[in-house]
Amino acid sequence: MEIRLNNVNKKLGDFHLKNLNITISEGEYFVLLGPSGSGKTKTIELIAGLLNPDSGSISGVEGKQTGLIYQDYMLFPHLNVYENIAYGLRFRDLRKDEIRKKVENVSEEFGISHLLHKKIEMLSGGEKQRTAIARATILSPDIYIFDEPTSALDRTLKEMTRSLFRKFHKRTGKTFIHVTHDFEEAISLADKIGIIFNGEIVQTGTPDEIFKCPASKTVADFLGFKNVIKGEVKNGIFNSDGVNIAVNGEDSSLTYIAVRSDDILLSEKEIESSARNSFIGEVTDIYKRSSGVEVIVDVGLPFIVEITRKSFDDMSIKEGSRLWVTFKVSSVRVFSHDTDIHDGDR
Amino acid sequence: MKLRHLFFLPGILLLLFLGYPLIKMMFNVDPSILLDTAKEKEVINSIILTLRASLIATIAALITGIPLAYIFARKEFPGKKILEGLIDIPVIIPHTAVGIALLSAWGRHSFISKSTGLNIVGTEIAISMAMFFVSVPFLINSVKSGFRMIDPRYEKTALTLGASPWQMFYTVSLPMVKKSIISGSIMMWGRGISEFGAVIILAYHPVTAPVLIFERFQNYGLKYALPVTVIMILISLMIFTIIRIYEARK
Repeated sequence: MEIRLNNVNKKLGDFHLKNLNITISEGEYFVLLGPSGSGKTKTIELIAGLLNPDSGSISGVEGKQTGLIYQDYMLFPHLNVYENIAYGLRFRDLRKDEIRKKVENVSEEFGISHLLHKKIEMLSGGEKQRTAIARATILSPDIYIFDEPTSALDRTLKEMTRSLFRKFHKRTGKTFIHVTHDFEEAISLADKIGIIFNGEIVQTGTPDEIFKCPASKTVADFLGFKNVIKGEVKNGIFNSDGVNIAVNGEDSSLTYIAVRSDDILLSEKEIESSARNSFIGEVTDIYKRSSGVEVIVDVGLPFIVEITRKSFDDMSIKEGSRLWVTFKVSSVRVFSHDTDIHDGDR
Repeated sequence: MKLRHLFFLPGILLLLFLGYPLIKMMFNVDPSILLDTAKEKEVINSIILTLRASLIATIAALITGIPLAYIFARKEFPGKKILEGLIDIPVIIPHTAVGIALLSAWGRHSFISKSTGLNIVGTEIAISMAMFFVSVPFLINSVKSGFRMIDPRYEKTALTLGASPWQMFYTVSLPMVKKSIISGSIMMWGRGISEFGAVIILAYHPVTAPVLIFERFQNYGLKYALPVTVIMILISLMIFTIIRIYEARK
């Protein structure tokens, strides 16, 4: 059953969640994306039943077990790892040995069996995260909710964790709701993204829909990456609508790539350089911004290129001009959605 | 001279000011008189009474004060600041005034006494009540700041893991403020033991240790008041040191 928020309003002090309308399908990986202070955590607390809406309704969560994992994990410091994982089972009608068995099984699944008698303060960040997820998983939740799960991690660990989350989602097949302020994380994980600003959902859609067509300038600015393209990768070549782009990425049937608009060069003639991606196309739109000029060049796919006002004037670019678009392989960020090809152990 | 050394000097003066009278008193007492005093029934009874009455006050404060501290820490409501200020009043008003206030509320001619026939003046209950009144802020403020320090997300996590609000409270909130509860209780108990002003107005008899010290000083002079004082101080020091060591070990 899908989760549905219908015109949900909630006032909390000075902050106001306004007319939230969100639909999350069963088994979907939904990412709630927004800057800090935008109301993401309050929204998931509404979904988890920790807050009641002032008006509007939330359906699809009644009687469901939710596993909410907060940022910083909120492991109870006065209990050890075992007691933390077993915590939710205390309130169910289970014998001691049944609880022990379940804790052993789930801790094996998360590779924390050797930590069961440790104090929480002795754990590393990664161990804490696994313990927190194990504590939620032991209750077999129908809905997993993660609040900024990677914000405390460094870049490499972040990417590893994302891949673990993808695998975990695939294995459980449950509905995942994931809160983040990091759009790269959103693209690499989400089936669907909801963007929240200042207590309002400003856009929902697949990563493709959102990045192709941001609902507002605020959304576009927040996303930063203007050129997000959906396609597939084979032998280091990304293909979308017949346009082939050289990338650094493994084979995958579903991939998003992103190129920053200021990482792309515009030229009248083809540039002889080390950059491997060069396409000729026609200027379809020109937007003058305070920061510079955005030129849309259609090379089979529309590319948004940001140049300075001076370059724009010097090159006397007009709609219909034919220009070369050039960028390096290293300026292409690759967000693979495939778990099977990536993960050697599966 | 380093800053550290400069800071030592006033610190040493302060410690001397606190320590000197206590040490002087210890050495002024004849050990044999001290021993004789310690065997006196009146002295033993008054000390036991003092410790017990304050303990009862502390237990009563734990039962009524922890829920209140939790409400103060977690809930916002109109008039909260005023109520929190009310809790602190006993710390700032003279304790004899507290005794007078309690006497007018609970004494022989009070409404409560007249309507119920209850007369608490001169009973151990009255002593506990006086101690409770003047020392409960120490417990409530300590537990309140303990609860404030707990991230509410711990409690919310407990709720999503299936705990009822009550189960959440006693499996998460309460254990997490254990330290504050213990230190607040010690502070309150200690403060209760030392209470004189409010107690003497509400109950001269049965005689608590601070009243006994005062009585002996009034009737027989410094020399007779000293041994009881020293014994009281030694016993208090012993108890609190034991509790602190026990706490530090855990």
